[in-house]
Amino acid sequence: MNVYLLQVVNGIGIGMLYFLLAVGLSIIFGLLRFVNFAHGAFYLLGAYFCYQAVQWGMDFWLTLAVVPPLVGVLAWAAERLLLRRVYDKPHEFHILVTVGLALVLQEAVIIAWGPLGSNVATPDALQGVVMWGSFIYPKYRLFVIAFTAVFAVLLWWLLEGTRLGSAVRAGSESTEMVTLLGINVYRVFGLVFALGAATAALAGVLAAPIRGVEPFMALEALGVAFVIVVVGGMGSFGGALIGGLLIGVVQSVMSTLWPEGARLMIYVAMAAVLLLRPHGLLGRG
Amino acid sequence: MPTRLTSFFSGRYYPIRCIYHDKYDEYKAGPPKRARPSPTAALTAPEQKGNTLDRRDLLKLAAASALPGCLPLRSAWGAEAAIEFGCPVPVSGAFAANGKYADLGMKLALQQQGKVLGRPLAYTLLDTEGKPATAVRKVQELAQQKGAKFFAGGILSSEALAMAKETEKAGGIFITTAGADEITGSDCNRATFRWSVPTYGAIERTVRPLIEEHPKAKRWYTITPQYVFGEGLLTAAKNIFAEKGIEHVGNSYHSLTEKEFSGYLTNAMAAKPDVLLLLNFGSQSSDALRQAVSFGMKQNTIILMAWASGLEQFEALGADLCEGVYFGAQYWHGIDTPGNRELVKLCQETFKANPNYSLAGSYTCTRILLAGIEKAGSAEPAKVIEALEGMQFEGLTGEEEVRKEDHQVLKNYYLIRGKAKSAMKDKDDYADVLSYGKSFLPVDKTGCKM
Repeated sequence: MNVYLLQVVNGIGIGMLYFLLAVGLSIIFGLLRFVNFAHGAFYLLGAYFCYQAVQWGMDFWLTLAVVPPLVGVLAWAAERLLLRRVYDKPHEFHILVTVGLALVLQEAVIIAWGPLGSNVATPDALQGVVMWGSFIYPKYRLFVIAFTAVFAVLLWWLLEGTRLGSAVRAGSESTEMVTLLGINVYRVFGLVFALGAATAALAGVLAAPIRGVEPFMALEALGVAFVIVVVGGMGSFGGALIGGLLIGVVQSVMSTLWPEGARLMIYVAMAAVLLLRPHGLLGRG
Repeated sequence: MPTRLTSFFSGRYYPIRCIYHDKYDEYKAGPPKRARPSPTAALTAPEQKGNTLDRRDLLKLAAASALPGCLPLRSAWGAEAAIEFGCPVPVSGAFAANGKYADLGMKLALQQQGKVLGRPLAYTLLDTEGKPATAVRKVQELAQQKGAKFFAGGILSSEALAMAKETEKAGGIFITTAGADEITGSDCNRATFRWSVPTYGAIERTVRPLIEEHPKAKRWYTITPQYVFGEGLLTAAKNIFAEKGIEHVGNSYHSLTEKEFSGYLTNAMAAKPDVLLLLNFGSQSSDALRQAVSFGMKQNTIILMAWASGLEQFEALGADLCEGVYFGAQYWHGIDTPGNRELVKLCQETFKANPNYSLAGSYTCTRILLAGIEKAGSAEPAKVIEALEGMQFEGLTGEEEVRKEDHQVLKNYYLIRGKAKSAMKDKDDYADVLSYGKSFLPVDKTGCKM
């Protein structure tokens, strides 16, 4: 019984990272109606920028503050120069352009840092494990849970309690109306895209000490992000949170019940949710 | 056929000479009065030469200069035909790093040799992309286009198995460092040789010495990839457990794309093992080790990674993570044998770096092929195979022998242990060699029938 409790806690830990990864994608799709296959690439960039910054001697805490906005700026530039041209085209164009961007970014990472993976050391203050009876859990993963929870609250406040957030939410329902109300929708699009990418980069920075950095982490992250977005409902913040936690717990508990199928069960869970609620758990009709 | 090209951008007409304009006129004029050789003759008739650089020569030059990883192809022009080698390794995709070093290894070996039987040496790097179908296609193409008969590569077992069959069909020789037992087991064939130690030897030379060093460690937990190769390692380990009275407290299978090992490690910790045996490989073994250390497992559990990748893995993980962890290795640059000292010196001179396993594996496979050609006195694959069978030579791990019945090279496998950062003598001195030896299944147990 103890093992299952541990697995649930571990699942929450994994789930929070998945939530961070998925929430940006969900908001981007909800507002922009834009399928962003480059999301994993921003996660990758976040992880590698963090690695390079740590190599240059920067404190890990500082990279948490510096790297996501940097990636956000890059994403904003990409949106301005490249993605804005295909907004009005069908979704296939979005996929083509963003997959192309993702490949270019991945190969650029390989050119800059080589094809081998690397390690990012856990910050000293968070090394070691927390022991509570037979409950052993790395301090760093507990930090990830706590940090992501705080960030989730901040993000929720941004979406619900600020004018920008209400513009984003209104734009998700009807872009036309928002334009008629005099809000520069394209500027909001740019900001939201940058925010989504910055969230992915933050997930990358947090995941780097857990999983290391390697050039092919983008693809795996993208797959998981899409599963969470589909499970939680496109465009829903709460859906991304619930979806992320659900998938994380499923994956973790399955590694005790049916280890070889742990990865498979993520997709089975997604299929089950889709059968019951085709628009995702909290998705709109 | 139009002789004008409408400008794509401006809509203005520009008169141009279409490349095939002269052919078109001819066609209009009727059957050709003199036979014109086809453009593809450049590829199939290397004896044609001219004083002027005509189109065929331009095509040849362009093709030769565009191919990466080539040694100069003097064969198309000169009288002695070069012996063609192929290096089919993943150059793109997840295993690109291994492929890059394998390419360097073959280049090093061929440049060191220079010529064999008075003939120059040439090789082509083939990007298998880690996919068996691509690998087979590229091997076929090279065998047909350049008549290449000698292939050294195959990093992944899946592509190695596919290429082994293809090379036999093409009448060539294929030597690989891939790990699957079948390569010199149930899927062995006359054309295929293998330099690396398969699963039986890898487990024998790591698990047994560890049991001897830690006789009180009776509870072992295994983490295994759901893959034929993983099964092979697990079966070999279970046999030793049964023999030595070790309690196998649990096993977690995982998929080949898994990156999150926290669930399996939580399971492992709940079973309170004395030893954590990692039977996965590549980036998965790195991830599993990294996460195991983050869970504090180094404090009360011995960790053994049975199939480590060598130097590149230590570089990726860092000395702090690897300290006190046991690794099984096919090769280590610190091995003190004449063969290895020579390679390390050559590598330091050429690349200013120590050789890693991918480079060393490719280097030694190429050297074995060259030794076979020399011994046979001919570049005819059938004769070289006969010369290679039973050949004994001074290899990277000491005295090595190509076993006749299954074409497996009998070599040492090493148990090494990670050192503390403070104990490292130079930036590559990550580990100490603890023990080594040769352990191979007898031929009748491998399932190989040639």
